[in-house]
Amino acid sequence: MSVDQERDDAPIRERIRENPGPALGWLAGALLLFALEAGAVVHLVTNLLGTPVELPTLLSRDLIPNNGYQTSSGVWKDTFLGLAPAYAWAIRVVLVYAYAFVWMLWLWRGYLVFREHYRYADWTPRDDMIDRLRGHRWGQFGAVIVFGFVILALFAPALGPTTVERTISNPYSHHIEYYNDQGQLENITVGAANLGSRSQGTPDRNVGPMSYDNYGRWHPFGTLPTGKDMFTFMAAGARVSLFIGLISIGVSGFLAAAFALLTAYYKGLVDLVVVIVGDSIMSLPRLLFVMLLSVVLGDTWIADIYSGALVLALIFAGTGWPFLWRSVRGPAMQVSEQEWIDAAKSFGQRPSVTMKKHMAPYILGYLLVYASMTLGGIIVAVAGLSFLGLGINPPTPEWGRAVDIGQSYVTTSSWHISFIPGVMIVLVVTAFNALGDGIRDAIDPQSEGGEGDGAEVAATGGGA
Amino acid sequence: MSEQVQQESVSVATGETLVEVNDLKTYYDEGGIVDSNPVKAVDGVNFEIKRGETLGLVGESGCGKTTLGRTLIQLEDATSGEVLFDGTDITELSGTELKDWRRNSQMVFQDPESSLNDRMTVGEIIREPLDVHDWNTPQERRERVRELLDVVGLQPEHYYRYPHQFSGGQRQRIGIARALALEPEFVVLDEPVSALDVSVQAQILNLLEDLQDEFGLTYLFIAHDLSVVRHICDRVAVMYLGNIMELGDTSELFDNPKNPYTHALLSAIPEPDPTSAKDRITLRGTPPSPRDPPKGCPFTTRCPMKIRPEKYQDMSADTWVAIEVFREVLRERSRAEKSLTEQAKELLGMETRFSDIGEIKQELFGDIDLSSEVERHIDEAAQHVEDNDEEAARRVLREEFGSICDNQKPDNHVVSDTGRVSHCHRHMSEYTDPDEFVPYTER
Repeated sequence: MSVDQERDDAPIRERIRENPGPALGWLAGALLLFALEAGAVVHLVTNLLGTPVELPTLLSRDLIPNNGYQTSSGVWKDTFLGLAPAYAWAIRVVLVYAYAFVWMLWLWRGYLVFREHYRYADWTPRDDMIDRLRGHRWGQFGAVIVFGFVILALFAPALGPTTVERTISNPYSHHIEYYNDQGQLENITVGAANLGSRSQGTPDRNVGPMSYDNYGRWHPFGTLPTGKDMFTFMAAGARVSLFIGLISIGVSGFLAAAFALLTAYYKGLVDLVVVIVGDSIMSLPRLLFVMLLSVVLGDTWIADIYSGALVLALIFAGTGWPFLWRSVRGPAMQVSEQEWIDAAKSFGQRPSVTMKKHMAPYILGYLLVYASMTLGGIIVAVAGLSFLGLGINPPTPEWGRAVDIGQSYVTTSSWHISFIPGVMIVLVVTAFNALGDGIRDAIDPQSEGGEGDGAEVAATGGGA
Repeated sequence: MSEQVQQESVSVATGETLVEVNDLKTYYDEGGIVDSNPVKAVDGVNFEIKRGETLGLVGESGCGKTTLGRTLIQLEDATSGEVLFDGTDITELSGTELKDWRRNSQMVFQDPESSLNDRMTVGEIIREPLDVHDWNTPQERRERVRELLDVVGLQPEHYYRYPHQFSGGQRQRIGIARALALEPEFVVLDEPVSALDVSVQAQILNLLEDLQDEFGLTYLFIAHDLSVVRHICDRVAVMYLGNIMELGDTSELFDNPKNPYTHALLSAIPEPDPTSAKDRITLRGTPPSPRDPPKGCPFTTRCPMKIRPEKYQDMSADTWVAIEVFREVLRERSRAEKSLTEQAKELLGMETRFSDIGEIKQELFGDIDLSSEVERHIDEAAQHVEDNDEEAARRVLREEFGSICDNQKPDNHVVSDTGRVSHCHRHMSEYTDPDEFVPYTER
């Protein structure tokens, strides 16, 4: 047949070899972006293997330091370009977020390059979904906040004005220098400095948001009652929350999808068994059950991993999958009634492949929606448990514990200790819900208000 | 490519049996925990399909024709009986044997909106059967798909399009291409054109006929559109309530139906000539529940030519019809779901919506002079109903007014030189043949 068609038949590798320009350009972008942070990755990997290797990294606190001291003449020493710590820190934060944003652009660019140069189909149902998501302001609002949250968690060590190690877990092994009242350079431990920067509700003993303490340290979110920097605490806490959220949603999403596909494909007895098991779990009062489990499992080896974050994630996964499964069981049942399932059976397709190829794509969208909405709930629940003193073991930072610690100072000048984490929890949870809304409207045009024409459109997410 | 196909079609010997179905039964919901009374979707059918022919399967909705088609390609498990495909009983196959056999028989589905996975490109959809059976190399598979697209009248460029981008007729062509991918011998066409526009229907039917000539295919054509069946089928089987009522040569069957049900069915075809006076036989009521089919002939409850018992041969047609309607009403009542409150009311002897038997009797028999004997039996049955013993009422009526049609399954009588068979007691020598008999409702 024609040359044109032979080109069409090549797998993606060969298509790229044929026309390597756009792909290479795109890849070069990735390498450039990666090189900026290669030091952090090398550090992480070598740290796992034994001795960490230090390489200069663009967005590290070593390259843009914000810790220093102010001489009596008002000049800052040891900070980035001699700038005030607030500015040095702000520059670092902006750079980190800009860097992450460029990565997002790079991914989007990759999709466009693929669509333009390497994809045969000039239209796929996914194009419509992406178009709809592009016009969904509420979903985009959610996406922006979620992006901010994820980056906060991912780059927590670089974003904080100081590190967890220096100010929270080991303050008496680290030192800072400052000019004391007598105008002399004094070297004290961080722990000692923290005692002087406590926020305990009285105006003379409070370091509020966006202020310096007496030791020239910058506190964007103020300090905790112990004098520790709260922004560092929040960034590290975001990591824990995200870890628990992703692990538990990942595990329960996997279980939910697997059970939904199995029950919808085989129906009958398999369905009945899973319904009974799922309903039994759902009928338990969840919060009490989670508390019970976290106490029971509290003394086992698994509770020591990441200060109990892993065990919490697994508890949430184990008690949460029936809810997700219930949400996708309906769509899975609907898809299983489609004739293309019969068609696949009629030419002898294996059940596992049929489920993966002909059913899973139709429920994954729903799963994504419910997962992103549930994620917010898990973050709240972990915060709630930590608030009750159950969740994450101190001293590992967790947002709910900050709310707990600050609750007696809410009406005082140290209001920030509860207020900021509380607002952030609300924002992040709302954002995950908004993102879920956006995804749902993207895959299901009907929910926007009667654009599609029939139940198939809802199930297939196509139309237009 | 076409030369190769020519050779193949020559090698197909027509006239030899490809599929032979013996006393096939397919029941649903067997062995349920609460209700072990299965739906008898296919209740003992016998027929054979010759190589290269098109056998039509017609009947009203819910008569089991789709289930029969699905059982033939092993999408449903047969409850009993056998399906011999080239001499092999395929209901016994499993595992790799079954998978290998599946290459030989494929299905074209009714609804082209539902039979194609919208998330896959047309090429992937048509290629999937080839992938499943590891047909040649991937490169050859892609070429085969393009060839198939061409065969069914689509463009090879459509390989990377999605089903969304096609009309109903084009989607059905994609479904046909997928069914043909593995070069099957036998294709079940499950109402392949009923979801399409009339203008497109003809195109698809012509395509199916062309493909049959080209590849020597054997079709089982399931339809409820009788004119389509007449156009495309060599032989026709008429199905009612899981049974084949009549099976024979298409033109012969349409011109001169033998079975009472075929009579009724064909009389429903609208005549394009407004002046033609045609006797339309309207069947009363609905088909009985396939969970509880009649013991004798499946059509007995609605048959306008039912054989009467010896002693009522001289009864007027009106009386007979009224009695039949009365029996029908009782049957329907026993089928109706009774709610818990209604059951409770019944136990307490209170009025329920089921208890107005007197009114029914009045309405049916009010204008008719009943002989004292008939009246006695009717009253006895009505009394049983009032005592909430509908089972006994039905038994009284069956014993008194029932005939061979109620009690005995008819044999398949050969009714023409071409081997047409009809499932009716009237073909026995002692009764009037259906085509000579004037239905009671027409008198």
